[in-house]
Amino acid sequence: MIAVERLTVAFGAVYALREVSLRAETGKITAVLGANGAGKTTLLRTISGLVAPQSGTVSLDERVLTRRRPEDIARLGVGHVPEGRGVIAEFTVEENLRLGAIVAKVPLEEGLAQQYEAFPVLGQRRKQHAAKLSGGERQMLAMARALIARPSVLLLDEPSLGLAPLVTAQLMATVAELCATKDLTVVLVEQNASSALRIAHHAVVLNVGSVVADAPAEVVAADERLRQYYLGMVE
Amino acid sequence: MDSFLTSRVVTDVLSGLTNGAIYGLVALSLVLVWRATRVLNFAQGAMPMFATYLGMGLLSYDWPYWVCVGVSLVAAFAIGAVTERVLVRPLYGKPEINPIVVMVGYLIILEAFAAAIWSTTPRSLPAPFSPIDWKLAGQPVGLSPFSLFEVVTALVVMGAIVGLFRFTRIGLQLRASALAPEVSRLLGVRVGRMLTLGWMLSTAVGAVTAILVASNFFTGLTPQLMDGIFAFGFIAAAVGGLDSPVGAVASGIALGVVLQFVGDYLNSNAIILVALGILIVSLMVRPNGLLTRSAARRV
Amino acid sequence: MSAVARRGAVALGGLVVAVALGFALAPRTSDAVAVAAVAAVAAVGGFVGSLPTVRAEHPALARAMLTVVLVDLVVFATAFLSVPTDFNLATGAGMAIVLLGLSFLTGASGQISIGNGAFMGVGAFATAIWANHHATTPIVVTLLISVAVGALFGLLLGLPATRLRGPYLAGMTLAFAVAFPAILSSFNSWTGGDSGLQLPNSVTAPPWLVGLFHAGTPTLTTDTLWLTDVVMVATGVAFFFMANLFASRTGRAMRLVRDNDVAAELVGVALPRTRVIAFVISAAYAALGGALWTLLNNSVSPATYGFALSITILAVIVIGGIGTISGAIIGGVVYAYSTNVIAWFVARTGLNPQGNLASQLNGIIFGALLIVTMMFSPLGIAGTIRHLRQRRALARERR
Repeated sequence: MIAVERLTVAFGAVYALREVSLRAETGKITAVLGANGAGKTTLLRTISGLVAPQSGTVSLDERVLTRRRPEDIARLGVGHVPEGRGVIAEFTVEENLRLGAIVAKVPLEEGLAQQYEAFPVLGQRRKQHAAKLSGGERQMLAMARALIARPSVLLLDEPSLGLAPLVTAQLMATVAELCATKDLTVVLVEQNASSALRIAHHAVVLNVGSVVADAPAEVVAADERLRQYYLGMVE
Repeated sequence: MDSFLTSRVVTDVLSGLTNGAIYGLVALSLVLVWRATRVLNFAQGAMPMFATYLGMGLLSYDWPYWVCVGVSLVAAFAIGAVTERVLVRPLYGKPEINPIVVMVGYLIILEAFAAAIWSTTPRSLPAPFSPIDWKLAGQPVGLSPFSLFEVVTALVVMGAIVGLFRFTRIGLQLRASALAPEVSRLLGVRVGRMLTLGWMLSTAVGAVTAILVASNFFTGLTPQLMDGIFAFGFIAAAVGGLDSPVGAVASGIALGVVLQFVGDYLNSNAIILVALGILIVSLMVRPNGLLTRSAARRV
Repeated sequence: MSAVARRGAVALGGLVVAVALGFALAPRTSDAVAVAAVAAVAAVGGFVGSLPTVRAEHPALARAMLTVVLVDLVVFATAFLSVPTDFNLATGAGMAIVLLGLSFLTGASGQISIGNGAFMGVGAFATAIWANHHATTPIVVTLLISVAVGALFGLLLGLPATRLRGPYLAGMTLAFAVAFPAILSSFNSWTGGDSGLQLPNSVTAPPWLVGLFHAGTPTLTTDTLWLTDVVMVATGVAFFFMANLFASRTGRAMRLVRDNDVAAELVGVALPRTRVIAFVISAAYAALGGALWTLLNNSVSPATYGFALSITILAVIVIGGIGTISGAIIGGVVYAYSTNVIAWFVARTGLNPQGNLASQLNGIIFGALLIVTMMFSPLGIAGTIRHLRQRRALARERR
């Protein structure tokens, strides 16, 4: 479980997050929604230690993550698939996965075999440079690279960005399945609110750095006001 | 009697390979640091020079040769690590001339300290193998046991570095840290340590080079030992591409051979002029090096 | 009282006092006339240059007047200094010109050169070679030819700079500095090999100057004085041009290139051309400095223009303040007097002056200053002074 308590982040005079609190339960998908600039990416970057908060804390189960370095947070079992996927284009598919397995406790071959089984397309292209992959394949690779370390938390930043609707739907199904079978805590940041709400258990809506809604996914999905003003979902 | 092996061409190629191996090693050490930290290290010659004084200086206390070599390498690792942590780390993200100036300042200090401690008089280092050319029918062939040792050492070091990068976990992390530091940190790679390690490796490669250069009968060990060699190494690295270890080594060797012919058929002054010309022309044709895939500069 | 009247009164008053003092104290009428001339130039230049309308509407004229006054006063001062002091000053002034070029290169384009000692050598040898083949050419023409040769070399090396980023260019200039001695010895018959060249006839003081000081007997002192003043005037001209360049459209375009070359390209700065121009100007300035050194020394030696000089040039401009005009002046002074200061320091601490440490102190101090400057105050002494003044101005405002 990830617990965020009264988190405030500022870049100079500009506040990116103001007193944000939320909980992402173990084995559940928590969607973080909101418009561009709402502070979603900053939230994930603060959880994984890339951004230092002004005040507030982030904790994983009973452990406080705040003020730890990103590499140490990763080693505590937080997998972060960054915005734009962060696949290393100069590396082959397998090299990307090997890099993800640096902190894994299981043997490399076992981890690779598992990921190739979960994402067969990666297995077929293991010797290819990641630069040659399609957008959807890159997203698979980025997720597989995070999962190979067997994290207990998976932070996903805009996984649907730039993907076709069909590919997005497949991706969301994969996320839902992973969460259910591996008892993973998933924090899913999305602008594409409708596809995120379809698989999420819980949803938090951010607006200009503040939480405006924090409720079960179906409640958020049914709230007309939220849909119109913050999620840009107009029928 | 003139045999093929003692002909002028073959002799030139063989001596050129020896010099080229040295240029390639210097180029390789520059590339290691450039890839990891985007710093062109102008003290790349001076740091190993200092390490070599520290290690090989023990010869005068009757330490065995190979132990002194080992101490030099350890000293190089230490100098590389301390330099990265203390001098280079505060410079990341600063305008690109800042690291250039700081490393030039470091070069001045290291050479001045070396001269203050050990004086500017050249110290001759014993060559571990005979530096006298093998002879064929009374004619020197352009290759001595020592120069063969130089070439082999260079190849082994290059092979070891390339192997380290390609096939090991550490190598994977070194490359990832250079290419995508933030993503690497998210995956648990200790990027700071990797950058330090890059500088350590680079300085150690430099120390091997400095020992080889200083063992040459004609030069000996001096504080300015690496100034000229650095220029050739930089030319090799720039021509081959500062991002490509293999390119740097290959162009170093090619440069050595070409310049040997220039020196033999023209004169010794022409060597550096031709090298400068090669640099200018190649940079005009391919600013990112002849042997790298050209990548658009990120906006 | 209006601003014009006030300044006029100050200028006139100063002139009267100077002339009166000159006629009262100077031993001979000719000396007093010289004092009066210097004072008149200073008064007129200072008056015109400080007028608010001139400063606002004709900044170039104001800068010219300021330069005239400064050179006028320095030239006057050199007459009262010892020969070694004059020589040191002139050497420092020649260096200041070189630094000015390098400062412009970095300040305006964000590039850096580690090879300006070699460009200096180009100018130094061009002067000596020309003088040896055409002994009758006037000094000014010889200097201009040397500057042109320097610019040509700058163009040759600067052409790749159109496409290069900082470290590549820096490395290339370093290679040039390392190669320069070989270039010199490749053209042995022209450059005189290891021993260098002597000027065929040394620059001598004109009769009126000799007459002014020694009633008709030319001596070494008047020659040194004359040379010093020639260098000072050249330095003044160089500074005047540079000050205008910094303020000009080109200068602004170059600063844009330095701050953000992508943005500069978007707003239509001809990026490659701007870079090359900056590089050529810095080479030309270096050549002028070297040419003046040749005149000063009456000879040129290849040993002067080795790699070490290039490094020293970089060190003093960074310490003075790279990218600023005042930094070049400070750097010139640092260069001229660092040897004396360090010798004094060595004498005070009781180090063996012939020992290893004492002889390397120069390098240790320069290297350390270079690193410390870049880490803590990248604009050097000039930047630190500017920063302190701004802080004081701010504090005054708050009060």
